[in-house]
Amino acid sequence: MTLLGSIGSAVFGRWLATTGLIWLALVAISAVAAPLIAPFDPLEINPIERLSEPAPPYLFGTDHFGRDTFSRAVYGARMASIIGCGSVLVALFAGGLCGMLSAYFPQLGHVLMRVVDVLMAFPALLLALVLMTLLERSVINTVIVIGIVYAATTARILYGMTLKLKGEVFVDAAICTGAGHSSVLLRHIFPNLISPLLVQASFVFAFSQLQAAALDFLGLGLPPEVPSWGNMLAEERIYITRAPWLLIFPGALIILTVFSLNLVGDAIRDAIDPRFRGDIAGV
Amino acid sequence: MPLLDVSELEISVHSTGGDIAVVKGVSFQVNKSGTIGIVGESGCGKSLTSLAIMGLLDGSQARTTGGTVRFEGTELLGLTMRERRKIMGNQMSMIFQEPMTSLNPVYRVGDQIAEALRQHRSLTRKAARERAIELLRMVRIPRPDERIDCFPHQLSGGQRQRVMVAIAIACEPKLLIADEPTTALDVTVQKEILGLLRDLQEQTGMAVVLISHDLGVVAETCDFVAIMYRGKIVETGRAEDVFSSVAHPYTRGLLNSIPPVDRDVEVLNEIPGRVPSIEQNVPGCSFHSRCTIAAGICREIDPEFSTVSGKHEVRCHFALGSNNRAE
Amino acid sequence: MLTLLPTLAAASFLVFLFIHLIPGDPAAILLGDAATPEAAAALSKELGLDEPLLKQYALWLGNVAQGDLGTSIFFQQPVLSVIGDGAETSILLAVMTMFWIIAFGVPVGVISAIRRGSWIDQISSGGAMLFASVPTFWLGLYLIHIFSVGLGWFPSSGFPSISDDGGLANLRYLLLPSLTLAAPNAALIIRLVRASMLDVSREDYVRTARAKGLHPARVAVRHVFRNALIAVAAAFGFTFAALVSEAVVTETVFSLPGIGRLVVQSILRRDYPVIQGVVLVVVVLYMAVNLLVDLAYASLDPRVSLN
Repeated sequence: MTLLGSIGSAVFGRWLATTGLIWLALVAISAVAAPLIAPFDPLEINPIERLSEPAPPYLFGTDHFGRDTFSRAVYGARMASIIGCGSVLVALFAGGLCGMLSAYFPQLGHVLMRVVDVLMAFPALLLALVLMTLLERSVINTVIVIGIVYAATTARILYGMTLKLKGEVFVDAAICTGAGHSSVLLRHIFPNLISPLLVQASFVFAFSQLQAAALDFLGLGLPPEVPSWGNMLAEERIYITRAPWLLIFPGALIILTVFSLNLVGDAIRDAIDPRFRGDIAGV
Repeated sequence: MPLLDVSELEISVHSTGGDIAVVKGVSFQVNKSGTIGIVGESGCGKSLTSLAIMGLLDGSQARTTGGTVRFEGTELLGLTMRERRKIMGNQMSMIFQEPMTSLNPVYRVGDQIAEALRQHRSLTRKAARERAIELLRMVRIPRPDERIDCFPHQLSGGQRQRVMVAIAIACEPKLLIADEPTTALDVTVQKEILGLLRDLQEQTGMAVVLISHDLGVVAETCDFVAIMYRGKIVETGRAEDVFSSVAHPYTRGLLNSIPPVDRDVEVLNEIPGRVPSIEQNVPGCSFHSRCTIAAGICREIDPEFSTVSGKHEVRCHFALGSNNRAE
Repeated sequence: MLTLLPTLAAASFLVFLFIHLIPGDPAAILLGDAATPEAAAALSKELGLDEPLLKQYALWLGNVAQGDLGTSIFFQQPVLSVIGDGAETSILLAVMTMFWIIAFGVPVGVISAIRRGSWIDQISSGGAMLFASVPTFWLGLYLIHIFSVGLGWFPSSGFPSISDDGGLANLRYLLLPSLTLAAPNAALIIRLVRASMLDVSREDYVRTARAKGLHPARVAVRHVFRNALIAVAAAFGFTFAALVSEAVVTETVFSLPGIGRLVVQSILRRDYPVIQGVVLVVVVLYMAVNLLVDLAYASLDPRVSLN
């Protein structure tokens, strides 16, 4: 069975994971087509309509500025996707490369993995908080900070996996037939790491959503005017009694998205090489 | 009355397409102090058979779906788990293929032996420990009073298998099932363990069911053999009868594939083809696809047992006389 | 254990560098906006800020060893005593949270593994994954909304010291926060205990135990759980890190006077010496926890030796 085929059957074999995948597809569509889907400008203030209950034309009601919560939620999907994809890219590229090279070249690894150890000496959110104090609140900085935090874990995981693969007979065979380092790494080791990386990607994506929401809530994440689900919760928390929809909708969106990512990641993890299954600590 | 009487045993495994019977109509008997060898390639159902007799099939993957297993006249398959546990490790015990992983890594070997003892005998901690040392001596572990406090990882594979034997014989069982007890060990250690089992059998008078893929081991140790192929016994009888006049082409193939020790050979005679997968429903004789003497009837009718001589029975259309046309 | 020391040294150097990474004169940053040029010059001299970086680090480390973590700009008090004021809340919160995590997580995980595939397992595994997907602050806000504001069963915020009036009864202030903090972590432990129990139950030695005729409960506890515990113990280091991270959020939601909220407030107040101090304390604590985890690991698994 092909890689894609086995992952596909792992995910579609479970109705919960399938539902999760469908939800993620919806989030992705909202992210791409936000201007087409959102009936209002997410930033448009309308004091007359402030704190309206969910009813047409305001599907999810309005916030204390009279902004349409549904439109903000749709644009929030865009922010969630940017943060998620960005953090995954940073974490998997930096961490993955670092882990793979460290395992393959032990001398380099000796240095690089000590750096990873040092980064891992800081609890995740604390490291993110400290880095954010040094940087301005912006989308790109949030992505970089969350990416760096999870690059360390990714590096540690990939290091272990590459070490295991390096001891395999087929790698020795490739080296004996005269394959160069880049060929061994790219054509013999890397293809075996694709599905574990996919699992790690879904967990990093999930964690990044919770981290970003926490940073937003503490006022240290995205700039306050950006319509993200975390910012929506942070800004409207005092209206929990007067306008419960303001917290239920964004909260439910985060939970559904993270839950879906965990379900999909869990399903793929069960389909990957059993030697690697225990290495990726997801949910 | 035989000590163990297995009759028409059927074991099925779960699969997406429904239950598949992987052991079909297996019958054999073991007399008091007797030794039977069950031989076959991996996947033939010999291990499942032994686990079913012992009561270790956990039901999630495989379970017995037919037949009877009588132990001293008691039907085991009808017992509750509570009643079966009184027999397990007590009158009937088992050792396994992997001595390296069969002992719990976090407990001292003495405690693991004592655990079996204290489960079935009301012994004090001290008495159990003394008995454990005695058992280690019986399985010929040097300096047993020191080794009793070792953790499994401090012992070699052969020594660990000796500890497994000590656990198994702790309550002086009437029947010991040994599932490939020497496969994972070095050749010299293999001989020692087999010798040990034989000596223990003489001392205690227990019966042994030896599961193996190695005809040579079985020929040396057992007085009765059963050859299994794809979940069925295809040939059975007293060891000397079976080996002196092999009747089934599969048994002959197994014997021919043992390299002779007294001369060099260019080519090993292996059995042609591969075992059809367990999901595949093979009509007729299940061996016909690999059999050199198969004819039309073999593809249609599954042969019943026919008697070669005395207790020597075989499932083959051409085993009796008519097979000479192939030779 | 010896590998911990270089890591600690490097981590503490990063913490020391923190002040230097902020744009501006370190002395002015340490003194805050109200710094006079004279005061800045005096501090600069005291900390050797015009010396090479490594020498400054050595000086700083020397001060830290004597318990001098600098002075809080906001409180105008030594950083150590500011942190000390938050310690009671944070430690009690951590202890209560660990209690919930172990009391819920371990038994539910064990039952889930033993009854694998049953509805109990499906509900607890699915529920655990769901709880691990809930933002801590959101859960906290709703617990306050329902149990404090709505039903009035618990106070919604703050925590008077147990040495004040009320004594141990003041712990009720920490009930909702500790449940909030425990939820996602207990969820992780449930899934971890379940997964490692299932892994162990496939081991050959578990079959050996069953072949002795032992009661299934004895097999589950003495053989399966005892070995699963090794993997679970190794994960408690991560749990500590997760606790610290989520305590920052939880203490903020419940307005608890703990170290977590102190960090957030110090960041917003630009009280850099306090941020630096808290991070250092947390890193040292985290290392100590990892060391304890290693010791626990070695005592649980005879195959592991500390040398």
